[in-house]
Amino acid sequence: MTNAKPVIKVEHLQKKFGSNEVLKDINAQVNEGQVICLIGPSGAGKSTFLRCLNLLDQPSSGKVIFEDKELTALSEDQLDKLRERMGMVFQQFNLFPHMSIIENIKLAPMKVKGLSDSDAKAKGLELLDQVGLADKADAFPTSLSGGQQQRVAIARALAMDPEVMLFDEPTSALDPEMVGEVLKVMQDLAQKGMTMVVVTHEMGFAKNVADEVWFMADGYIQEKAAPQQFFAQPQTPRAQDFLARVLEA
Amino acid sequence: MKKPWKLLETLLIAVLMLTLLPQTAAADKGQTEQRTDNYLRKVRQKGELVMGTSPDYPPYEFVKNINGKSKIVGMDVEVGEKIAHDMGVKLVVRSMDFDSLLVGLETGKVDMVIAGMNATPKRAQSVAFSQPYYRSEQKLLIRTEDKGKYHNYKSFAGKSIGAQTGSMQATMLKKQAKNVKLKTMDKDNDLVLGLKTHKVDAVSVDKATAEAFAQNTDGIMVIPAGLKTESSATSVAFHKGANSLVKSANKSIAEIKQKDLINKKYLPQAGKYLTSGKTKKEVKASNSMWAYKDFFIAGVGYTLFISAISVFFGFLLGAILAFMRLGHNQIARSIATAYVEFIRGTPLMVQLLFVYFGLGLVINIPALLSGIIAVSLNSAAYVAEVIRSGINSIAVGQTEASRSLGLSRTATMRYVIMPQAMKNIWPALGNEFVSLIKESSIVSVIGVKDLIYQSRVVQADTYRGVMPLVITMILYFIITFGLSSLMKVIERKMNHD
Repeated sequence: MTNAKPVIKVEHLQKKFGSNEVLKDINAQVNEGQVICLIGPSGAGKSTFLRCLNLLDQPSSGKVIFEDKELTALSEDQLDKLRERMGMVFQQFNLFPHMSIIENIKLAPMKVKGLSDSDAKAKGLELLDQVGLADKADAFPTSLSGGQQQRVAIARALAMDPEVMLFDEPTSALDPEMVGEVLKVMQDLAQKGMTMVVVTHEMGFAKNVADEVWFMADGYIQEKAAPQQFFAQPQTPRAQDFLARVLEA
Repeated sequence: MKKPWKLLETLLIAVLMLTLLPQTAAADKGQTEQRTDNYLRKVRQKGELVMGTSPDYPPYEFVKNINGKSKIVGMDVEVGEKIAHDMGVKLVVRSMDFDSLLVGLETGKVDMVIAGMNATPKRAQSVAFSQPYYRSEQKLLIRTEDKGKYHNYKSFAGKSIGAQTGSMQATMLKKQAKNVKLKTMDKDNDLVLGLKTHKVDAVSVDKATAEAFAQNTDGIMVIPAGLKTESSATSVAFHKGANSLVKSANKSIAEIKQKDLINKKYLPQAGKYLTSGKTKKEVKASNSMWAYKDFFIAGVGYTLFISAISVFFGFLLGAILAFMRLGHNQIARSIATAYVEFIRGTPLMVQLLFVYFGLGLVINIPALLSGIIAVSLNSAAYVAEVIRSGINSIAVGQTEASRSLGLSRTATMRYVIMPQAMKNIWPALGNEFVSLIKESSIVSVIGVKDLIYQSRVVQADTYRGVMPLVITMILYFIITFGLSSLMKVIERKMNHD
């Protein structure tokens, strides 16, 4: 991992909503093949940080560099081109309810990449197989459980062959018995070498899958460390306090 | 988004042209008014004299079904023919609400107004009147069952008398009959209907009208009004300053009086139209609603025509406005918001009159086109809100998911948002179209021959108040129910997809 090339670089990122400064000064780098888990108390700005990476939220100042391009300086057209290379999975799945599962997956490859219907379909079925839902291709989102929907959402993002996958609390809206199936898919993905940034409250996943844990609080990344080190010996009082509470529960 | 922008451009250009046109035309007008009195020359140049009237006032003017075509006839039309003939031009009769007639004159929609109109000092301030061509007596219509109970207006203390809105009768009653309750309505027909249904106890009209009604309606009779008439003389109104026209008309009127043409020729002619030379019983038979089916068919045709075109343009403009409001261009947003708020905050009636008379000062827009423009512009504001709220009802997560996949703003709107939003928009749009059809009835005010207008004509022609209304109601219901059923079928199809 030492001489891996950087995929995303963040420099002095700041984000304000009105007078509320959510991100104060973030500096970070994600390397190729790395799995980063972002953890921290709610309101720490984890989701906002993730959304600033693909500019769903516009940073107030600072730089986000992806594939050697400064995103905040790009036009909307250029930004669309880069967004397709950053897959994103949302807490609320956000499947398109008016389309079947396979149509959900085919849409972007066909409309953005110009794939033919049959190529997009073949790819979609392969990805559905990968997330264990090959039999649901023609079902509609509302007929699926939350866990199944989230797995479709992952397949949908993968269909664009992204360079990096961003996960925004992917299991927080799920019933407990469905959390496992989604985490399993994410773990497989990590093992295949996908670069991933995951905002999560699943400490087990962070411990077992992450290459690095970033602890966020009060608008800053307070600690970056390998998971074993972070969970065994948190350095900052903020992190010690947080872990004490989480492990107690 | 490229196409809407093109449309917007065109729209802005159109607006610009509209704002520029007034200045040139106003300049034109200033010149003609300085060198007063080109009026007669101009009328002769175009070879026609346009007479405005409100054809619901038999025997002065009313609509008659002649060989399957509806035509405005009556004593006033005969007078108009005489005046036009003496000028050496053709007479064109244009129909309008009585209240709109003088505005029509001021804004040049018509060259003269002959509508059983009395030359009151107040009216004389804004228009030029000819010599009176007819002097009438004032009468009251009462129910036959009240015979002997009332003798003149003084017998009506605490009772109610009806008069046409804005008419001389209304003014006289207001001044002289202080302890009588005055009720005004737009149409004499409604007043007579009100009399029969005990909404009023008498209707104040002039002699010619009173006798025409009494002859054709069961259960009502004529008594003297007893009102002091300040000016019961009916005159022709012209544009202020059109002295050449007034002079020419006065010559014709002098001849009419000298030969007593009104009593000898015009009134009998009008009476013939009223009764078609038949007995009272025969008149009733020909007044059956079936005999007037062509009127209703024509009315449905106009109503459908106006509605269909207005729905199309209202939807187009409404969609543009909605995307202007949802877009990121601050100026476009402000324009669209201002437009929607303004249109929704003012009555359609005023908008219609503004398009017809207000813009009419500048460019002459025919009544039908004015109606379509006003209804379209009005509907656009409501459609814009329907579309905007339909789009806003889609969760923001849908847009984010789509954009994160690399779909552009336009592609997101087209493939993700609109298909979902349409399910919310469609039913609301259906309601909007139904109310557009109903509200289009307002165009009858400026004389567009839609369903409401035709029902008025049939009422005036047959002296039957309720039946034409019932038929009109049923026809409107068939149209709106048909439309909403169609919308529901499409909606169901959409939900199956």
